[in-house]
Amino acid sequence: MQNPVAIAAVSEMKPGRYPDKSGYDLYLEVVRQFLAEWSIKPSDIQDLLACPAGMAEGGSNDIFVHEQLYEELGIHPLFADTMNAGGSTYGLMVQRAALAIERGLAESVLCIGAGKFPKVSTGGGESMARMVSHEIYEFPYGTFIPALYAQVASRHMFEYGTTPEQFAEVAVSSRAWALKNPDAVMYDSEALTVAKVRESRSIATPFHLYDCSIPVEGGAAVLVTSASVAKRFSEQPAYLLGMGEYHSHRNIHQAPSLTDVGCRTAGQQAYQAAGLSPSDIDFAEIYDAFSVNPLVFMEDLGLCEKGKGGAFFESGASRPGGDFPVDTYGGLLSYGHTGDASGMSMIVEGARQIMGIAGERQLDKANAGIVHSYGGMMSEHSTLILGRQA
Amino acid sequence: MSENSEASHSETNSSVPAKPQPRITPWAEPLWQGCAEGKLRLPYCDQCEACFYYPRLWCPQCFNQDLSWQDVSGKGKVYSFSVIHQSPLASYQEDVPYVLAVIELAEGPRMMTNVVNCEVDTVCVDMPVEVTFEARGDMTIPQFQAVAQGEK
Repeated sequence: MQNPVAIAAVSEMKPGRYPDKSGYDLYLEVVRQFLAEWSIKPSDIQDLLACPAGMAEGGSNDIFVHEQLYEELGIHPLFADTMNAGGSTYGLMVQRAALAIERGLAESVLCIGAGKFPKVSTGGGESMARMVSHEIYEFPYGTFIPALYAQVASRHMFEYGTTPEQFAEVAVSSRAWALKNPDAVMYDSEALTVAKVRESRSIATPFHLYDCSIPVEGGAAVLVTSASVAKRFSEQPAYLLGMGEYHSHRNIHQAPSLTDVGCRTAGQQAYQAAGLSPSDIDFAEIYDAFSVNPLVFMEDLGLCEKGKGGAFFESGASRPGGDFPVDTYGGLLSYGHTGDASGMSMIVEGARQIMGIAGERQLDKANAGIVHSYGGMMSEHSTLILGRQA
Repeated sequence: MSENSEASHSETNSSVPAKPQPRITPWAEPLWQGCAEGKLRLPYCDQCEACFYYPRLWCPQCFNQDLSWQDVSGKGKVYSFSVIHQSPLASYQEDVPYVLAVIELAEGPRMMTNVVNCEVDTVCVDMPVEVTFEARGDMTIPQFQAVAQGEK
């Protein structure tokens, strides 16, 4: 990119259940931790992008969250907004911030997210089904989130011979990474096996319980700056080498293809902007609400051959010590899915790996990584390519 | 049943809520009228010479607003599906296991429906299906079922 942009600082609160905190309370905690962790001064943050944190609480009334947050921070941005694109919100925040910085409209943009996740058993499953499926043409047929994602999995199985056991391999891989991440919800648990995934209770074929991410609460902050400002915070910022987005559909039955839902197009734009090809990428952080996502999106990002995502995960390459690490923080599958804020976790981890601050799970080779997130029912997509050299 | 056993509350017949009834938008009335007559009636664009689903105020291919309606064959194939073994929806508890599917009609458009009147384990991608209709409150909604053998 012409004027280099970087992720200068990242912070994420430990995912968990915070029953005493509202979505907005979580926001304040995210900001407090971020300011403390990086010794941020008011002059370090010019601008602000935030996301409504109350969607999962049954409709959001905090669509002005950025106004409240910049007032509490005591800053007066030239560039600020509350925006929402589901899980792709934060990838798109980084992209919007980068555009503003490249055009000289902004120099340091704080991107923040916090999320509550209602318990499925107490009406959360139904309220979310209403949110993500067409009110008239889908919801009356008994939709809910796993059953909608399962449509993509079943079609992939039909077209490419992918097996439920191969989807399970994704969950096995993510758990292996979570065991190396003290912040992961499943850090203190034990390794998964394909058999354990398949023996967990069936939710919606081909998915069993452990094919599904773990609903929790949390939030994170990412400071996007010009490359020169980034150096003030970090010896090794995570430079934004390329980015791409694509908005395919809203309702899963309207996707032009269930085996090409939009990830490929976003990824192609990002590679082109970065002047890189998949062979230049060392690792991937891929939004994984369900085990199907990394398997399919490895293919769509050109990181393995189309139809070979199952074989890729079966090979063990994605796991600790493997040739091509995927979801090195444990993924939403084993790190935890923080509802409205879930699209932050893979960006924070991608930046940490590039910055060399990923602790026990730090990769030996992390010169360039790809971060893919999506919103809705794999409806809209954001791809970021991060690297050590601008 | 104790008052605080919310989780098991929905398992009692008396408390099973009615399944959701689609909201009828003015531009979709012929679809629902067709269902009531036992016909699958879809919006048709004369310029594109094609049906589409779901009903909109314009053709999503060419933005033509002068649309007509066409009764389609009601035949199609399962494009994808899932057998639901655990549903959070109170109104669907008695249907578990049920099939949620995307159907591709012979005429092209895809629809989300259930695949009904079958053993759930027999449903597969590419399976030939045909429309059938379900009374839903005071409405009739399209559903799909396996094509009877010999009729494929």
